[in-house]
Amino acid sequence: MAKQKLSPLPAAAFQILLALVGEDLHGYAIMRAVAEQTGGRMRLGPGTLYGSVRVLLEEKLIEEVEGPKESKTERRRYYRLSPAGRKLVRAEAERLADLLRVARTKKVLRGDYV
Amino acid sequence: MSKDLFALLLRLYPSSFREEYGDEYLRLLRDRARDETGIWRSVRLGFDLVVDLIISLPREYRLAKAVPKRSTAVPSGVPMFFSIDDASPGRGSLLFGAVVSLITLMSFPTLANHFGNLEPPHGWSEVQAGRYEEGGSDRRASSSGLQQATATAKPATAPEADNTKTQAGDPALDSATRHRIVTNLIASLKQHYDDPAVAERAAAKLLSHEQKGDYNGVASAADFAQRLTSDLWQATDDNDLEMVFTRRTIPDRPRNPIPPPPPAYAAEMQRLNCTFEKVELLPHNIGYVKLNSFPHPSVCQKAATEALAKVNNADTLIFDLRDNRGGFPDMVKLIASYLFDHPEYLYSPIDNTTKDSWTNSPVVGSNLMHKPVFVLTSSHTISAAEEFTFNLKMLKRATIIGETTAGGAHAASLHPIGDNLYLGTVDVRPINPYSKHDWNQIGIDPDVKVSAAEALNKAVELAERNKNK
Repeated sequence: MAKQKLSPLPAAAFQILLALVGEDLHGYAIMRAVAEQTGGRMRLGPGTLYGSVRVLLEEKLIEEVEGPKESKTERRRYYRLSPAGRKLVRAEAERLADLLRVARTKKVLRGDYV
Repeated sequence: MSKDLFALLLRLYPSSFREEYGDEYLRLLRDRARDETGIWRSVRLGFDLVVDLIISLPREYRLAKAVPKRSTAVPSGVPMFFSIDDASPGRGSLLFGAVVSLITLMSFPTLANHFGNLEPPHGWSEVQAGRYEEGGSDRRASSSGLQQATATAKPATAPEADNTKTQAGDPALDSATRHRIVTNLIASLKQHYDDPAVAERAAAKLLSHEQKGDYNGVASAADFAQRLTSDLWQATDDNDLEMVFTRRTIPDRPRNPIPPPPPAYAAEMQRLNCTFEKVELLPHNIGYVKLNSFPHPSVCQKAATEALAKVNNADTLIFDLRDNRGGFPDMVKLIASYLFDHPEYLYSPIDNTTKDSWTNSPVVGSNLMHKPVFVLTSSHTISAAEEFTFNLKMLKRATIIGETTAGGAHAASLHPIGDNLYLGTVDVRPINPYSKHDWNQIGIDPDVKVSAAEALNKAVELAERNKNK
């Protein structure tokens, strides 16, 4: 199942999973986290964000959780990384690390990249 | 950016997405719009949204189509439908369905003509039905339980016969049967038609048609009746002659006089106050008589004289015949007699007799002889009510206010000639003293044309204006 919709893992989905690694976040917080971790290059629009969230939920890579009661009127949905999601983030990161290693050996990158 | 625009954007998405994330979508937009102020950031936000739409819209629709919609929670006790097949029918199926529907619809008239024989015989078209409107009116009247007596008094008539014909189906004819029909028809015609010379001429014409083999192709009795009718018309120049096919047995009625009404009629009339619905004096001394039939004098003479006595001293008289469905010419004569100071001839094609048709004027004690009279009519006013209206109008005795009347005049008789066929003749042709055609089929035009609903107000208005002059 995961292979059908999330293989290869879209960049947005990966960024969302990555944003959720440390903490449970709501939609807007995810969006800001993603913008932050990409240096402002990826600013998720609501359609993309919640489209991805839905797919990730369906694939059980994240789950919806009750957030802190910050306001009585507005109740935001928070999302948490599931164990499967954590595994997938790691796998994807390792794939990218492999990619990076290859790029480094081929001297594609200049300077002091890790 | 406004909330309306955000809502508009949201509407672009499939319903499954809107239901699930609509609120979140809008909240995120609000959050971003709140935080990202300033020209540069606003422009960037707009750009982001456009990109977002381009990326996410196709994907959402693709997913909405691929993933069957999750059945939302079913409210208990509420019947709901879910379509099992998520995909819409293919273009081919739709086209096929359209073609089949079209063919089916188009084939109905053809099939109906072929098997149902729904087409009325040419002799009984809409216009012809008017000729026997008596029957139509009586049918309506008897259904209201009002004029049982009139219904029995009049011969069975065309519209009913036509009905039964279409229902009954139609036996096939062979040449022997056709010959028998023509022979019987000629005998009946000679016996019943009022002008023997014309009857002879028509008989000769029919025989010559038969000998020439003109009728050989006619296979059904209904068609034959139709064909004979048109031949009779040609031979006699009398469109009152008809051949009628019906499965129903219609007894050959003796000619007149109109039989006395049955006891049940008397009881009914008693109950209905002889259909004098209202007899009263309106303001300005206007006498108002609402009469819904012309009941038989043998039962209702007393009621009628009492009613007229009640308005005897009125300055103006209004006869409200808007709901009058006809009745007996004798009552027409009785009431009309009060309105003249000398006997007047009443033209009465309804009456099946040739007895004299003069009013019994003057009526002793009547103060109404010279008072202005208004008659209110509607499109339902028919038969004897039309006789009353027509004569008062022709004699310039009344102002007619309302709608053109229904147009039913002649009484007809059906004479059986066997094989479910009947010869329809008009028995009596009373003298019409007016060069004008009577109201048969065409109705009577009012002098003041207003809708039936407004007729009374109009009459009162005119009556008051008259008085003030």
